[in-house]
Amino acid sequence: MPRPEAKTITFTIDGREVQAPENMMLVDAAKLGDVEIPVFCYEPKLGNPVGACRMCLVEIEGIPKLQTGCSTPVKDGMVVNTQSERVKIAQESVVEFLLVNHPLDCPVCDKGGECPLQDITFGWGPGKTRFVEEKRHFVKPLALSEKIAIDRERCILCYRCVRYSQEVAEDYQLVLLERGAHSYVSTFDGNPYEAPFSGNIVELCPVGALTSRDYRFRARPWDVEDSGSVCTLCAAQCNVSLTVRDERVLRVLARDHAEVDDGWLCDRGRFAYPSLGEDRITHPLIRDGGELRAVSWERALDEAATRLKRAGAQTGALVGGGATNEEGFLLGRLLREGLDSPNIDSRVAGTLPLELHRALGEPGLQAKVSDLEFAHAVLALECDLVPDAAILDLRLRKGVRRHGMKLVRASLADLLERPAELVAKLKEAGPADGASAEIVVLWGERLTTGPDGARAAQALLDLAGTLGIADTDNAGLLEIPAQSNGRGLREAGALPNAGPGLSSVDEDGLDARAIAQALSKGELSCLYLLGADPLTGAADELDRELWGRALANATTVISHAMFLTDAIREHADIVFPAGAYPEKEGTVVHPDGRIQRLRPAVAKPGESRAEWQVIADVTARVGLDLDVLTGGMASQQLFDAVPQYSGLTLEEIGGKGVRPQERATAVAS
Amino acid sequence: MNTELRADIEAHMALYPDSRSAALPALEAAQRVHGWCSPDAIEEVAEVMGVTPAYLAAVATFYDMLETEPVGKHSIYVCTNISCSLRGADALHAAVSEAAGDDPDFNVRSFECLGACDIAPMASVDGVFVGPLTLEDIPQLLDDTRAGRPVLPEKQLSTRLVADPNANSREFPAHAAEGGTQ
Amino acid sequence: MTEALLFKDIDEPGLATLDVYAKRGGYESLRKALASTPEDVLAQLEASGLRGRGGAGFAMGKKVSFLPKGTIDKYLVCNADESEPGTFKDRELMQKSPHMLIEGLIIASYAAGASRSFIYIRGEYVHQADVLDAALAEATAAGYIGENILGSGHSLSLVVHRGAGAYICGEETGLLDSLEGKRGNPRLKPPFPANQGLYQGPTLINNVETLATVPAIIRMGGEKYAELGTETSKGTKLVSVSGHVQRPGNYEIELGTPSREIIYGLAGGPPEGREVKCWFPGGSSSPVLKQEDLDLPYDFEAMAKAGSMLGSGAIIVVDDSTPILDVALKVAKFYRHESCGKCTPCREGTTWTVKMLERIDAGTATPMDIEIMASVQEHIIGNCLCVLGDAMAMPIGSMIAKFRDEFEEHIEAARIRNGLGAGALEPALATGVTG
Ligand SMILES: Cc1cc2nc3c(=O)[nH]c(=O)nc-3n(C[C@H](O)[C@H](O)[C@H](O)COP(=O)(O)O)c2cc1C
Ligand code: SF4
Ligand code: FES
Repeated sequence: MPRPEAKTITFTIDGREVQAPENMMLVDAAKLGDVEIPVFCYEPKLGNPVGACRMCLVEIEGIPKLQTGCSTPVKDGMVVNTQSERVKIAQESVVEFLLVNHPLDCPVCDKGGECPLQDITFGWGPGKTRFVEEKRHFVKPLALSEKIAIDRERCILCYRCVRYSQEVAEDYQLVLLERGAHSYVSTFDGNPYEAPFSGNIVELCPVGALTSRDYRFRARPWDVEDSGSVCTLCAAQCNVSLTVRDERVLRVLARDHAEVDDGWLCDRGRFAYPSLGEDRITHPLIRDGGELRAVSWERALDEAATRLKRAGAQTGALVGGGATNEEGFLLGRLLREGLDSPNIDSRVAGTLPLELHRALGEPGLQAKVSDLEFAHAVLALECDLVPDAAILDLRLRKGVRRHGMKLVRASLADLLERPAELVAKLKEAGPADGASAEIVVLWGERLTTGPDGARAAQALLDLAGTLGIADTDNAGLLEIPAQSNGRGLREAGALPNAGPGLSSVDEDGLDARAIAQALSKGELSCLYLLGADPLTGAADELDRELWGRALANATTVISHAMFLTDAIREHADIVFPAGAYPEKEGTVVHPDGRIQRLRPAVAKPGESRAEWQVIADVTARVGLDLDVLTGGMASQQLFDAVPQYSGLTLEEIGGKGVRPQERATAVAS
Repeated sequence: MNTELRADIEAHMALYPDSRSAALPALEAAQRVHGWCSPDAIEEVAEVMGVTPAYLAAVATFYDMLETEPVGKHSIYVCTNISCSLRGADALHAAVSEAAGDDPDFNVRSFECLGACDIAPMASVDGVFVGPLTLEDIPQLLDDTRAGRPVLPEKQLSTRLVADPNANSREFPAHAAEGGTQ
Repeated sequence: MTEALLFKDIDEPGLATLDVYAKRGGYESLRKALASTPEDVLAQLEASGLRGRGGAGFAMGKKVSFLPKGTIDKYLVCNADESEPGTFKDRELMQKSPHMLIEGLIIASYAAGASRSFIYIRGEYVHQADVLDAALAEATAAGYIGENILGSGHSLSLVVHRGAGAYICGEETGLLDSLEGKRGNPRLKPPFPANQGLYQGPTLINNVETLATVPAIIRMGGEKYAELGTETSKGTKLVSVSGHVQRPGNYEIELGTPSREIIYGLAGGPPEGREVKCWFPGGSSSPVLKQEDLDLPYDFEAMAKAGSMLGSGAIIVVDDSTPILDVALKVAKFYRHESCGKCTPCREGTTWTVKMLERIDAGTATPMDIEIMASVQEHIIGNCLCVLGDAMAMPIGSMIAKFRDEFEEHIEAARIRNGLGAGALEPALATGVTG
C-alpha cells in the first residue's frame, strides 16, 4: 500500500518561515520551527484527532475563528500565530477551565513533576484561578484493575484512555459514562479493566487520574533515573525505559520505536518487573550431599570446568531465549572450540536443514514491522501473537483499522494442503490496477519445529515465491521465533548445524531433542543450560517426559538460572546466578533482523556476575582463552564473526538498533 | 433471553448499513421489557448486537430517556424549561412530584424543553403530551395514568388546531382525541 | 401575507393520510421533479434562496451542491431532533402533514443523488414518530419510497430513527454519531458532512421545515418562491411563539414581517398590564433583544445586525414580572445539562456559570462575580468544538450586558437577605496559585 509521502511546504509561524511536510498537523509542524503548541487530547497514536480539549487553539490568517492546531493540516503559505493576545487568552482560559474541576492535589499525586497538566498550567496558564465554587466529587482512588488505579477527580476528560481501549486495543471495555460535566471514565458495571495491553493507559493519561498501583507513592520524578533498554520477555522486544531508584526497577515505560513497538507495551512487559527482582538466585551453588549450597565463585567455576573437561565432546548445551547474542556465541565457542562438542541448540525442537535456515533468513525476504501496517494483506501463519510477540497484535489491528490491510489467518495444514487458496485470498487484497500486492507473511517458528518442519519451511518459501515477495518492496516474511532472542541466537551460531552467521560447520551436532535422547541413553554425560529450563520450556508432554529422564540420567547439569525452578532444584549440579534483562548488557535480535542493545539499568543481585564473564571464565579453566575481558569485547567478537554484522559497533546500534539488511543497502548506495 | 426482544433488536439491526446504528432502538426495546437499562438488559442487547456491554452502557448513560437506575413504570416528564417555567412549570413539577409521592409506579422527572411550549406548562405522560396544565389537573392526570385511561383527553396536544389565524384555507374542526397514542 | 404554504391545510382532518394529502395536490411536486433532471431540481432550490430552517440559515441549494457527484453511496438525513428550547414547529408539521416532509425529502434526495435517508426524530416525539412511520408505510406502498421511484430510476430507502433524549443530537455531527449508534458527541469539522458524514459517506442534512418547504418550491418554481420574503431571507417561515404571550403557538409568516406584528399582532403580546422585558428571537440560544428591537423586521439579517439571530425561529417572550436572573439560570442550567462533555470550555464553562448564578441567588456573590461571569462567557465563545457552548454564552453574555444593573441589584438584595450586607466588596478572587 502506498505509504503517506508528503511534499515539503513552507509556512509561517510566529513570524518565522518553517518548512514542513504538507498536511502534517500544525502542532507537529510547529515543532519543526521550535514552537510548542500545548496539547492534551492530541495523540496521533490513537487515530484521528478529536479536538476535545481545545488546548491547542491558534490563529490562522484568513480564518476568523481560532483553530485547533492538532487537527489542522499545514499548507503551503499558511500563516500561523501562536503568540497573539487572542491565542494567549484562549490558552489561559482553557487551562483555567480544566482546573475548575481539578483537585490540584499535586503534592500527593504520583504524576507530580512529570505531569503535562502541571507543565502546561505553568507554561500557558493564567497564573491564578478565579474559581471559588465547590469542585466535582468522586470516590477516590479506585482500583480500575489489579494493576491500575483511577482517580476520577483528577481526570480532565481528554478521551485518551477510552480512545486507546476502543481504537488501539480494540477491547472496547473502557468508556465514558454519563454526559457533560458528569462524564467519567469507567468499565461496564464496575468490572475490572482486564486486557493484555491495559497498562498503556497509564502512560497515556496526561494527569494523575490513571496510575500504576505498583508504583503508587514509590517515588517522585526527581528521585529516580531513567534507563533505556529492551524488554526480552517475548520476541517482540519492545523498547523500554526503566525507572530506577536505589538499584531497583520501579516502573517500565515505553520508549517509542516506530519499527518495533509503536510506543506501546504489553502488560507482561510493563508489570512483570517486581517478579524479576524477587526470589532470585544470588550466589553460585553446588550440589553437595543432595542439596544445592552456596559456594564461592572460584569453587563453582573450577568444579564446572573440571566436569566439562571430563565430559568433553559428550557435552550438550541448550540456550534459552532470554540469552543475548554474545552469550550464545561464547557458549558456542566453549562447546565447539573448548570441548570439541557440536551439540548446541537454541530451538525448542526439530532441526531445519541449514539451506532452509539460510533461505528463510535471506535479507531480501525479510519484512519489517511497519510493513505489517501498510501491507495490502498479512498472512498470519501459526502464530499466537499475544503470548509470542504481544505488541505486534496491536500493529495488525492498526493495519486493519487504519489502512484497510487484509488479515488472513491460516494454519500449517492450510499451508501444506491448500496453498493455492491462500494465494488467491491474499492476492485479492492487491491494488485494482493489477500491480503486485504487498504481502507480509507472519509466521510462527512452530511452523517449522514439528515433524513436518522442513516440509513446512519449503512450502513457506514456495509461497513466498508465488507471491513474488522477493521482488516486491514492503513485502516479506516475518518470523515470530518461539523464544525471545531466537533469531539472534541462531545468527550467533547457537545451532547444531550452523556456526555464527549461519556458517557451515564441519560436523553437525545434536539438536535439543537428540541431546535429551543421548543423555537418557548415556551417550552424553553433561548438560549445559544457559538460561534454559527444558521442563518448563518443553514443547509438549512427551518432550517433558523425555527431558525428565535426560536430566535424571545426566552425570552433570550446569545451569545459569535466575530462579530455583523444579528442574534446577532437583537436577542441577552447578548453578550460576543469572541476570534479568534490566541487569544485562549485550545485544539481541528482533524478529525482523534489527540488532538491539541491552543496557544494564540496575546492578545484579548478590554476587551475580554477567553470563559472558562466567562463560569466559569457565572456558579459560577448560583451557581456552576466549580473549573477552569486557562485555564490549564480547560484542566485538560477535560482530567480527557474523558476516552480516561486520563493521558494527555498539555505538552504531545505539538506542534504536540497526537492521543489517538496511545497513547493507545504505552502505552499498 | 426473551425471544421477542431478540427478534425486535435483530429487525432494527437489519435496517441500517451498520448494525450498530440500532443501539438506541435496541436499548429502548430492552428498556420496555426490563423496565430500565439494567446491567442484565445491557448484556442481553450486547450479546445480540455483538458489541461490548461497555459500549452500550456508554450510550445508555448519555441519553435522558434511557434509565440506568430502576424507575416506576409510568413516566411523567414535566417540562421545566424556559417557556414552560415562565408559565408556572416549576410549581407544577413540584406539585406533581408531591402528589405522586413515593408511589413506585411513577417516574416523575423535570425535563428539558419537550417541544410543546404552545401548551405550556405541559407534561409528557407515558409519551402523551398534555397541557396547558393547572394544579387542579394533577389528580386526574395521576388517576387516568394509574387506571390506564387516556390521560386528560381534553388537554392532549393532538386535539389542538394550529394557533396561526392565517393558516388553513378553510375551517376545520378540532381533532378528536384519539386516546392511547395521543 | 398572501397564502400559507406549509400551513395551508394543516388542520384538515386526515391530512396525515396519503389519501387526503394527495387530494390536496400531494406528491404532484415529486412527479414534476422526477420528470426533470436532478440538476434542474437543484437549480430550482438554488433559485428559491431557501435558507436552512434548523438554526444556521445556510442556503439549502448550495449545501446540496456541495455533495460530490458520482455513484458513491450518499445519504440524506432529516434533522427532526427539534430540541432548541421554545421550538415546536417541526412537531406541528410532522404530526399533521408528514407526507409533506416525506415528499420534500424524496425530492431533495433526488437532487443530491442520495439513495438512503433517515429522519432522526427526538425520542420524546412519540406520537409524531408513529405518524411518520404510518406515512412512510403508505408512501412505500404507493411506490414513492423504494426502488426506481415512479419509473424515474431514482431509488430511496427511508428509516424513521428515534432519538432518546439529548439536545446535542440536534447538532448535525452529534446527530450523525447518534445515528451511528454512538454517544451523540459532535465531531470535529472539517471534514464536513457533505464530504464525510454518515458512515463516512457524503451526507446532506436538513431540518424538517427546510425539507417540507421543498414541494412548495417545486410547485411554484424557485423564482416565484424567492419573491416572498426579503432580499436575503426568502420565503415563509414557521415561527414558534411562546412564553409570556396570550396566544402561544406556531405561525407561518413571510420573512421580514415586523417582529412586533408577530409578537403582538399574532401572538397577542404579554398579558394585560405587562410589558415585554426581553425576547429571544431564535430559541434560547439567541442573545436576548429588548423592547426597542420590536420593530425590527423578523429576518436573518435584521436579527444578526441587532446582535442576535433568527435561529430556529422560536420567539420566547419574557415580560417584566420575571427577574432576569431566573431567565439566566434556566438557560444556563439547560446548556449545562445538555453539554456533551467532550470539549473543555463548554463542559466546564456551563458548570461554572450555573454555580456563579446560583451564588448570586443565594446571596454569596459580589459584583466582581458579574465580571468573572461575563469573562467566562467570552472565554467560551468561539473556543468550543461545536456551538453548544456559544449557545449558552451568547444569551447569558447578552443578559449581563443588557441587564447589568438588575444583576447588581439582585446581588445586593440577596446579600442583604443573607445577612452579609451590600456595598463595596472584596473581589471573589481565589488566593491559591494554580499548578
Ligand atoms: C447545539 C445545536 C443544536 C441544534 N439542534 C437542532 C435541531 O434540533 N434541529 C435542527 O434542525 N437543527 C439543529 N441544529 C442545527 C444543525 O446543526 C444543522 O445546522 C441543521 O440541521 C441543518 O439543517 P438546515 O440547513 O436545514 O437548517 C442545532 C445546532 C446546534 C449547534
Ligand atoms: S461545545 Fe459542548 S456540546 Fe459542543 S462539543 Fe463541546 S462539550 Fe460538546
Ligand atoms: S490537543 Fe487539540 S483539541 Fe486537544
